[in-house]
Amino acid sequence: MMAIRVDLSKCTGCRRCETACAFFHTGKVNHHQARIKVMNLYETGVDGPVLCSQCQERYCLSCPEKALSTGKLGQVIVLPALCTLCGVCEKACPIGAIEMFRDFVYVCDLCGGRPRCVDACTEGAIIFEQGKGEHPSLAAVKKKTMKMNPSQKRHFFIQELGADFRRTWRKARA
Amino acid sequence: MLRYAYGGHILRVDLTERSSRIDALDSSWIKPLIGGRAANTKRLSEELNLGCDPLGPENMLIFGIGPLTGSLLPASAYHTVTAKSPLTGILGDSAAGGQFAAEMKLTGFDQIIISGKADTLLYLLVTESGVEYVDCPELAGKIITDTTQAIRENHHDYSIQVAAIGPAGENLVQFAAIVSSGNRVNGRTGMGAVMGAKNLKAVAVRGSRSLEVADNLAFLAEVRKIEENILNHDEYEKRYRMGTTMLMKDLNNIGILPTRHFQEGVCHYVDEISGQALARTHKVKNKACFNCNLHCSRYYVVEDSEAEGPEFETLCSFTSRLGSRDLPFALEMNNFLNQTGMDSISTSEVIGWIMECQERGLIHPQELDGLHLRWGETDKIRDVVHMIACRRGIGDRLADGAKKLSESFSQEAQRLVMQVKGLDMICGDPRGIKAYGLTYAVAARGADHLRAEPYFELTNRKEEAKKRFGTEKAADRLAEEGKAALVSYSEKIALLTDCLTMCKNIGLCLDVLNFENASALLRAGTGIEYSPEYLEEILGNHIELEYQLNRRFGVKKDDDTLPERFQKEPLTEGPTKGSIVDIRRMVDEYYKIHGRRE
Repeated sequence: MMAIRVDLSKCTGCRRCETACAFFHTGKVNHHQARIKVMNLYETGVDGPVLCSQCQERYCLSCPEKALSTGKLGQVIVLPALCTLCGVCEKACPIGAIEMFRDFVYVCDLCGGRPRCVDACTEGAIIFEQGKGEHPSLAAVKKKTMKMNPSQKRHFFIQELGADFRRTWRKARA
Repeated sequence: MLRYAYGGHILRVDLTERSSRIDALDSSWIKPLIGGRAANTKRLSEELNLGCDPLGPENMLIFGIGPLTGSLLPASAYHTVTAKSPLTGILGDSAAGGQFAAEMKLTGFDQIIISGKADTLLYLLVTESGVEYVDCPELAGKIITDTTQAIRENHHDYSIQVAAIGPAGENLVQFAAIVSSGNRVNGRTGMGAVMGAKNLKAVAVRGSRSLEVADNLAFLAEVRKIEENILNHDEYEKRYRMGTTMLMKDLNNIGILPTRHFQEGVCHYVDEISGQALARTHKVKNKACFNCNLHCSRYYVVEDSEAEGPEFETLCSFTSRLGSRDLPFALEMNNFLNQTGMDSISTSEVIGWIMECQERGLIHPQELDGLHLRWGETDKIRDVVHMIACRRGIGDRLADGAKKLSESFSQEAQRLVMQVKGLDMICGDPRGIKAYGLTYAVAARGADHLRAEPYFELTNRKEEAKKRFGTEKAADRLAEEGKAALVSYSEKIALLTDCLTMCKNIGLCLDVLNFENASALLRAGTGIEYSPEYLEEILGNHIELEYQLNRRFGVKKDDDTLPERFQKEPLTEGPTKGSIVDIRRMVDEYYKIHGRRE
């Protein structure tokens, strides 16, 4: 498997990954059609992109129409012909990494093996690497984000990750 | 019919009636105005009753963006806010970066025009379908990040971007700011007070449209060239590390770092308050505006406060300019000013002016309710800043700004206000940067560098100077020769960056924008034919429009000047020692280039 890893400490919140993603896939710029979405938490100074982390649980594959599957690289593949826009996958994802906009479901497809977000990031905050076979578990996050919409889930997720990493700031500057 | 780049609509909101109207963007405006600052000024010029009270319901508050706002072009997501300024009584505007403009773009509105006055505190939620009025008494007195957070939570949506005022705007501090993206400030000319006077706590934007340019490949090719120019620029590493705070040492090295209210240009303890010191001791990470590859902003942690910033102006305003060597204090002030929504330059000026006047015995503490301020007294500065933000006690008078406050004191005291046309001067002593001096004098919004940002004069590029401006002197910071030509060129590029809604650090300081690549970007972006010559012509026309507008506001040639100090008193120390500004000569030459008589 190949996976995109995020180093939150290097993210400046510029959203270059997001614009590059939308532009590569659609020829347009907007965040609705980006498959990586950056959260800017102005209240804490934390910024970070959210995208499919290829979780162990693969919650989104609970699709009742079987429109979702995993590809060779480990990415999620959406078959639009089977998708009825029922919203089950969006609801299932604990971190808001899969979301519907108008008539399509947006989730990271690793750009078929050359993720444009990685190219666009000048900070080394998004790393594309050979996975060691393990997939992160999102079970703990899932419990906490059950009732949230995708935007709230992303905010919660980055806030949680950011809280750990913010402690290093104080330590480093103490 | 517009197909590309533009949203194509403008939104008009009347807060008194709580009514709104969506108009198509007038097609005759598009090509000759581009957008951003130019379109805003044109709107004000055509529709405002110029005699109106800036803090009355008649004043218009205009949020404007341009065709390439929020595109792949780096640092292209600035928005300009324009109104009649309560601080200066003339054209007021201020631009800010961050994320607000990119989201406004997705609403499809190129301009949001707000007039009237709401009967109760509210915020606007603007989406592609129009505007929603949300009463928010619970947000009264709230700081910027709390307001932003509350609005996003109200709508369960973190893609919402918010431009808000803090307590200072609500209290009509005349130099109150509008703040978006947590710490991005439309600081100058008191736009936050105009918003406060309308009972408007915030403008929130959330769009679901997309930005599509006419020719993706051609646009991308131009963008890549600009990105390369930024990444390969000599100053990249320095700006990445320190952002504009690098100027603390750079300006001190040439003897023009405002110290003790422009009495000196060399600060002996600069190493304690420099961009280097800040990066070394308090910076924890880089931050960036939308889609920028420079990432020049920074987040810092200090004692019990943390925030984004500061930029050079704020750092200098709350260290050397007030005679303070306390870096953590300046960082605390940066956060306080951004969160209460006040312009750091104007706040510092009113304090610095009092300090100098009291040192010279021109103002007695009794005349200011017992207030006695001395250089570097940070505890007192803090108290005064808090009092200004809520107009408490003597803060109520200081909140009208240095110029208005000075009017109740002697002529001698009035001459010591460092302002032009009522706008307080930025940090950079014009005695050692003559093109900047000219810019402060002629800038349409008052003593300000961003109307031209003639950074070129600091780059020592003599051959280039001769080629572009006919004399090597244009690259000699102490010379007056060639500066009118330099400013006349730079003011067009500055306007161009404001119309493309780009950052001036990128567009001007890094010198990556010119008429050639801008016309290529506009052609590929909008599908409209632009040539470099045409661009230069319309930008020139617009500068005349701003000039004419200010004439209608009552500005005269005599107002295009600098405070007496810079014309008569040489600095006594450092590499700018002995220099004064012959402002008359430069202004005359500038008028000649522009074909102006008076």
